This record gives sequence, structure tokens and C-alpha cells, in this order.
Amino acid sequence: MSICLEYKKLKRTGFLPAFFGGGLLSAFVPIGNMMFRSEIFVNSPEPALKILFNANWQMMAMLNLFLIVIGACIMYHTEYADNAMQKMDALPIRQSSNFFSKFFILTVSIIAVLAIEAASLAFCIHHWFSLYDEFAIELLKSIGYAAILAVPTLILMTGIASICKNMWISLGVGIICMFVATMIPKTNFILSLFPFALPFQTLWDTESTRIFQFICGVGIETGVFGMAELIYLKVRRKFQ
Amino acid sequence: MSFLSLIGVELKKIQHSKILWILLIPIVLLWIPAVINADLNFDTQLEGISPENNFLVQSFMGFAWFMYPASLVICTVLLNQTERSNRGILKMFSLPISRFKLCLAKFVVLLILAVVQMVMMLTMYFLCAAIASSIQDYQFILSPLIVLKEAGMIYLSSIPMATVYWMLATCIQTPIFSIGIGLATIVPSVLAINTKMWFLYPMCYPFMIITSEMHKMATNLGTFSYKLFPWIPVAMAFTVICLVISCIRFGQVEGR
Repeated sequence: MSICLEYKKLKRTGFLPAFFGGGLLSAFVPIGNMMFRSEIFVNSPEPALKILFNANWQMMAMLNLFLIVIGACIMYHTEYADNAMQKMDALPIRQSSNFFSKFFILTVSIIAVLAIEAASLAFCIHHWFSLYDEFAIELLKSIGYAAILAVPTLILMTGIASICKNMWISLGVGIICMFVATMIPKTNFILSLFPFALPFQTLWDTESTRIFQFICGVGIETGVFGMAELIYLKVRRKFQ
Repeated sequence: MSFLSLIGVELKKIQHSKILWILLIPIVLLWIPAVINADLNFDTQLEGISPENNFLVQSFMGFAWFMYPASLVICTVLLNQTERSNRGILKMFSLPISRFKLCLAKFVVLLILAVVQMVMMLTMYFLCAAIASSIQDYQFILSPLIVLKEAGMIYLSSIPMATVYWMLATCIQTPIFSIGIGLATIVPSVLAINTKMWFLYPMCYPFMIITSEMHKMATNLGTFSYKLFPWIPVAMAFTVICLVISCIRFGQVEGR
């Protein structure tokens, strides 16, 4: 019920076309890269997917992060813009269910974007390399890993947007976090756990023991942010 | 109402917007690692760049590539959205003020905010260079003239980009698209500066300038020069066209 409601609110904000367009744009990154510079990549001895991820993922992850930041901002902007939030408060709906519905919709949208990106990577492999047996499983694993690593960013960004009444502040905070993430060296494990830096990681340049640690980190961060948001909403309700 | 007092009014409107914090925090965060890793500046003999030049140029590159354009986008959101709540903009339009003037005043405020961030960047540079000098026992502070020249060039080259963002913000009513397109245009600027047609892409100008400056300082990296023609005429054309379009489009939806 709550999820349907949240989805309806988004109808006129251009949320879905924006995510679709963003997905297409980031899907174009590997295709464009292969179109213009295929000779650099085709002759490399490494697995095709690894080549594609190494060459394109930084840019694609950045576009995905932009989508997360803007999507979360817009979701709460519609609530705050004309004091719709106060009307929501008067309804018999919990604010937390409101929050988690938004988080759920944002997550599903990002998974859809990742699916578009996966399709484009598959197209690249089909067109410029050759399809091999384990290719589908490897692609699913890499994209699934990317989806898992995006979860802390999703919940944190939705939280930031829920806290800031003005869109430029939530947008600013999100962009600053992204900026910090771009400065973090990927080799430093502790710093890489910063939520906005996680989506830049790929399955291909992470050791197998590290992968498990990253997934644990994701679980802990998601739990902590979720709890913090619940407490924040409770406290805010008290002082309203 | 004179243009200057109109700018004064616009500045007053954003007094409590906390935008200065949004502009300041990334700059502080940018310079902290630069001070902590100041010793890495001594490892750049291979590129032929002096440590003090490297200290300046690395942080300015990080700034010009991502944070500076993104800040401009955030400022356009601020300028556009402050008056949307409670329909403040409609009240502005009901006053006997020309819409063009209002649009230009807001654009000037955008340029002022960019100046403010550049000044913050410069202040932090001198502060951090002084700290790094005392830690590393090496003179990192360059002559203010050189530093001012770099910052001034980045700023001037960013004006066409600012007009493009301002045009996006005024022409596209749905915020998700104006912000989304604005932010998405930052990403390919790294690719754009490596093409021959870079001057057709205003979002890469500041990054182009600073990259070229770095190659001038790093004698072993080869040249990465740019020609003023046809860049300057193209940049001016972008500025004028975008400003005219945004002035025409500004408030057209509300004014109906």
C-alpha cells in the first residue's frame, strides 16, 4: 500500500524517465568506449568482462551514484516542497514506512538501471569479443555484487534527503560525499567502506577474501543507517 | 529598481540558505589529504614538476574537475528553488521589475557564489601551504601572483559553463532533469579535453585550463596546449546564446 502510494507521488516528477535515461546513458559508456577504441581492448589477454569493467565501471558507477543522489533528493523534495509532509503526518501512516517505501523504490530503480547496464555489457561481449560458457553467470555475479554494494549508499542517501528540508542541501551533501569518495584510494580497505565509495568497487579487482568482508561491511552499514534513521524519525516526531 | 539593488535583494534571499557551508566543506575536505600527503609531492621528479607547483596544481585539478562544476549545479538549484516554496517567485513577477533583469540578477548571484568558492579555495591553499611548509620544512607557498593567475583563469573559463547550467535550470521545469543533465555533463569532461573539438564542450573548459597549466609546469610530461582561436569566440557565443535563452525562458511558465 505504502509503496504504491510512494510510486504514485513520483509519477509527475519525471523519476522513471530520468532513471531510464540515466540507465541508457551509462549503458552507452562501454558501447561508446568499444566503438571508438576497440583495438586497445580486444587484444588484451584478460577475460572480456574484466576488461570491460576495468575500462568503464568508474564512469558507470559515477552515473549510478548521481542517479541515487538525485533520485533520493527528488523523492523527498516532493514531500517538503509544498508542506505535503505535514499532511502525510496527519495520516495513519508511519513515517518509517514512508522512508522504507522510498528506499525500496529507489533500490528497485537502481537494480533496473544495473539491468540495462548488464544488457549493454552483454552486447559488447557479443559484438566485440566472443560469448563463452560461464559468461552469463559471471555477468550476473558482477552486477549482483554491484547491486549489493550500492545498498548502503541507497539507504544513507534516502536518509540524508529525509533530514534536509531544502533540496540544495541534500543534493549538496550527496555531491560532497561523492566527491570524498572519488578521493579515497581503492586499495585502502577501511576507507573503501565509506558508503559512497563502495559502488566504485568491482568484483574483478577485489580478492575473494575481501569480497566477503565487503559484503559483511555492507550488511553492518545498512543495519546501522536503518536504525539511525528510525531513531531520528522518532526523535523528530517528538519535537514537531 | 536598479540592477545593483536587485542583486542585493537576491543575495538577501539566500542569506539563510546555508549554501556557504555547502561550498566550504568540500574545499576543506579537499585540502586535508593534500596536507597529510604533502610528502608525496617530492616523488614527482620524474614528471619534472617542482613539489610546490605539484601541491598547488593537484588540488586545483581535483577541484576543477568535479567539485567546482557540481557546486555550480547546486547553486542553480538553490537560486531556482528558494522561491518555489510558497510561490515567492509569483510575487516577484507581480512587482514592476523586468523579468530579464531578474534573471540576470540571479545569474550574477550565481557568479558571485562561484567567486566566493574560489576565494575559499585560495584562502585554504595559502593556509594549507603554510601548514605543509612547516611540517615538511620546505617552502610550499608560491607567489600570490601565480596562484591568483591560476584561480582567475579557472574562474573566467568557467563562466560559459555557468551560463549553460543556468540555461538548463531556467529552461527545464522538472528539477530532476535539469540537475540530472547538469551533473551528467561533468562526467565526460575528462574525455572531452582529449579531443580536438574540446572547445565545443563548455563543461570541460576549467579542467582543460588547469590540465594545460600542469603540463606547462611538468616539463617531462609533454605539452598539452590550447589555442585561443577558435576557443574564445566559441566560448563567448555559448555565453551569449545561453544567457539570452535563459532570459527569454525565465518565468515564462509562471507568467502565463
